[in-house]
Parts: sequence; C-alpha cells; structure tokens
Amino acid sequence: MSEQQHSGNQDSTHFGFKTVARDDKVSLVANVFHSVAAKYDVMNDLMSLGIHRLWKRFTIDCSGVRPGQKVLDLAGGTGDLTALFSRRVGPTGQVVLADINESMLNVGKDKLRDLGLVNNISYVQANAEALPFADNSFDIITIAFGLRNVTDKDAALRSMFRVLKPGGRLLVLEFSKPTEAWLSKVYDVYSFKLLPAMGQLVANDRESYQYLAESIRMHPDQETLKQMMEQAGFSETSYHNLTGGIVALHRGYKF
Amino acid sequence: MLKLLWPGLLCTLGEKVLNPLISMDPDALMRLQRLQGKQLAVCLRGIDLRLVLTAQPNGIWLNSHQEAVDCSVETEFSALQQLSDPSQLTRLIRENKLQIDGDLQTLQQFSQFFQQLNPDWQERLSALLGDAVAHKAARAIVALQQGIRNYLQQADQTMQELAQDELRLTPVAAEVQQFSREVSTLAGRTELLQRQLAGLLPQLQASS
Repeated sequence: MSEQQHSGNQDSTHFGFKTVARDDKVSLVANVFHSVAAKYDVMNDLMSLGIHRLWKRFTIDCSGVRPGQKVLDLAGGTGDLTALFSRRVGPTGQVVLADINESMLNVGKDKLRDLGLVNNISYVQANAEALPFADNSFDIITIAFGLRNVTDKDAALRSMFRVLKPGGRLLVLEFSKPTEAWLSKVYDVYSFKLLPAMGQLVANDRESYQYLAESIRMHPDQETLKQMMEQAGFSETSYHNLTGGIVALHRGYKF
Repeated sequence: MLKLLWPGLLCTLGEKVLNPLISMDPDALMRLQRLQGKQLAVCLRGIDLRLVLTAQPNGIWLNSHQEAVDCSVETEFSALQQLSDPSQLTRLIRENKLQIDGDLQTLQQFSQFFQQLNPDWQERLSALLGDAVAHKAARAIVALQQGIRNYLQQADQTMQELAQDELRLTPVAAEVQQFSREVSTLAGRTELLQRQLAGLLPQLQASS
C-alpha cells in the first residue's frame, strides 16, 4: 500500500485526524515542532518514562555501526541518536544530523556541543522527501519518530534509498500499532487523555500533544510500512515490535 | 514485552560505570589510542547476550549485536577471571571453556587495557572531601582492598589444604599422577591379556 493510498487523494493529506492540503502539512508540522522544541527532551522522558532511550539504544544495536562509518540521522531532532552514533563511529567516521525544523536542529546543536560532541558531527536543515546529498553517500540512515510527520512518505523512503550506499541499511524507529488488544485500550486512554494533559502542564501546549496522539494513529502499521519500504527498493526488510508494538523498528538494506 | 530492551539497559549502565573509571585514570586515554576503532565481542555461555566493546579515543562504548567484529570471545562465567592471565588461555581453549574467533591481538590489547586500568580515586575524592580526608580515605580503601585480597588468597589456600590433607576430599597433584600411571599400566596389561586371549581362542575351538 502506498502513502497516497493510505492518506487519501493526491491533493490532501492528514494532519492528525484532520484532512489538510498537502502543501499546508509542512508548515503545520513545523509549527508543532517550533512549539515543542524547548521541552522536547523533558516531555520524551516524561511520556515514555525514559523508555525512549532504550528504543534508541536498540536502534543503535540493530544498525551494527562500526568505527569510520558515515551515518545520516534524519529528523534527528535533539540529537539523541546522533550522540550515540558519534561516539561509536569515532574521529574517522561522520554523523550528519538532519532535520527540516530549524528550532529542533538548534536545540540538538546546543545539546551535542554541551556533551562535547563536535568533531565528527555536521548539521543540515533538510526535507526528507528531497535529501540534499549525493547518491550512495551513507552507510546507515536512521529516522526516529520522524517519518509519520513527513507528508509524502514514499518519496522520503525513495530519497533515503538513493543516498544510501549499496550494502547500507535504513532503520525506521516509529510509533506503531500495539499487538495486544488490552494494551491498545490502555494506550488509547493514555494517549488521548493523559498525554495532552501532560503537554498542557509541562509545555503549556495541549494541541501539539493531541496532534502527536492523532498522528500516531494515522501512521501506517507494521506490515504496511514494511511493504512501503520494499516498494521504495529496500531488501530483506524486517521489523521488531518494541514494548508490545507501541513502537516498531523497521530495518531494510540497499543491495 | 521488554525482552529486546534489557541488553540496551545493561549497556547503558555499563557505560555509566566504565567510562567515568577510564576518565579517572590519566594514562588510560593514551592507552586507548592503541585500541582506537577496535571491536571486541564477549559472549557468555548460558546468557543470551553478546556484548560488543568499541574502543574510541573518548572511551569504551557498549552494544549488543551479532555483527562481525575484530575479535569474538565465547566463554563461561567461571572462566572470566582467568582470562586476565595470558598463560591460562591455551588451557582454557583446550578444555573448551574458551572459543576465540578473529584477531587474538585485539583480545590481548583489551585484556591488557583493563588490567592496567588504575582510576585515581584520590583525585576525584579530593574535590569532594578535601585533600587530607581524601588521602586518608584512599589509603584506607587501598588497605581494605589488600586485606580482602589477602583474606581471599588465604581462604583459597586453606580450602585446598583442608580438601586435600584433612578431609581427603581431593587428591594432591602427585596422587593424581600416580593414579594416572597405574591406570595406564593396567590398561596396557588388559590390552596384552586381550591379545593373548584372542590368540588362544582359535586353538581352543580347533581342539574341541
């Protein structure tokens, strides 16, 4: 199933549960992230009880990253994955932190500098649908909690495939569909009642966290995303359900 | 539900302990340069975990994956302590307690690095407690470490003597060698008897 089939006709797309013009989604998502950037890390820890750090660790493990490799952390936001990669690729490797949102990129830049990670990291403001890199540039590409905000996910996957080196791998860490019915019910209550309230309390922004919950529900499920990756050209695609499918890590190779 | 995530938790905790220790040893970062970029995987039998150590100039970073590395070690928990002694490696491999794949030098370099790791506790403590108290505390810790080491060595020696001489639970090395020799002699004589019997059997069958 392609993204267009998933989201409706060619001129409109979804923004949470709302249907909006495709051209408007970028600015709407941008507004959400301009709004949450400053409190993004605090809210992540609070919302996931810190488990997002273990999901990201698992992503690093599945990347099989080696010293000297070149990594693209797409929609890298505040740079959690970039920090983990930067230490592992070492001075002979390189990590590119790319995000479409300038506010998020600035928060990430400040955080990584404070951690003393400066030598092997570069920052690029980029749209995942049209990556400004040469073909076959990266050994590993990761996109963590970013793909669901992209307007044309198929174009983004094709763009990632293009800039990945042959033999390289893409890792997509994203919210997904819980595998157990009881967990799904608990998760629904949590996301639609508790999450916006927490957003209001901590970040003084209820709407952005309402959008977060809605955008998760509109994101393709595990099998659909796997098929989308295959359609984009990726081989040996697979996924791991984490925390009962609340999050899934998809992996695909370019051969 | 969290099965896939616990190795990550373990690696995080491992890094939180290991890298501060490395930063407390002024010479460690220089020694890390020699290991830079090397990866060692350690797999403990009985535990479904393969720990990958990646050495970089700023520390040692832990991961858990099945990808190719410079050197991979599979061993038993009981043999871990003996790995620090290079003279024991051959014996451990022969006894199938240790399996090494890849560059042996990488294993030796990592082993050497950890043996030489000597965190300067006194320096770190002095920032918190002041020089005099930190010096006394560090001396007390060193004395305590030495005391525990001596006590464990003494206990080990006493247990060996007790088992061998007092309770006669285990034989001494000379007794084992003597027993082995006697078993070899008996095996030789049994084999000779078997050959003699095999020679006599056709004669007995012919006469009957």
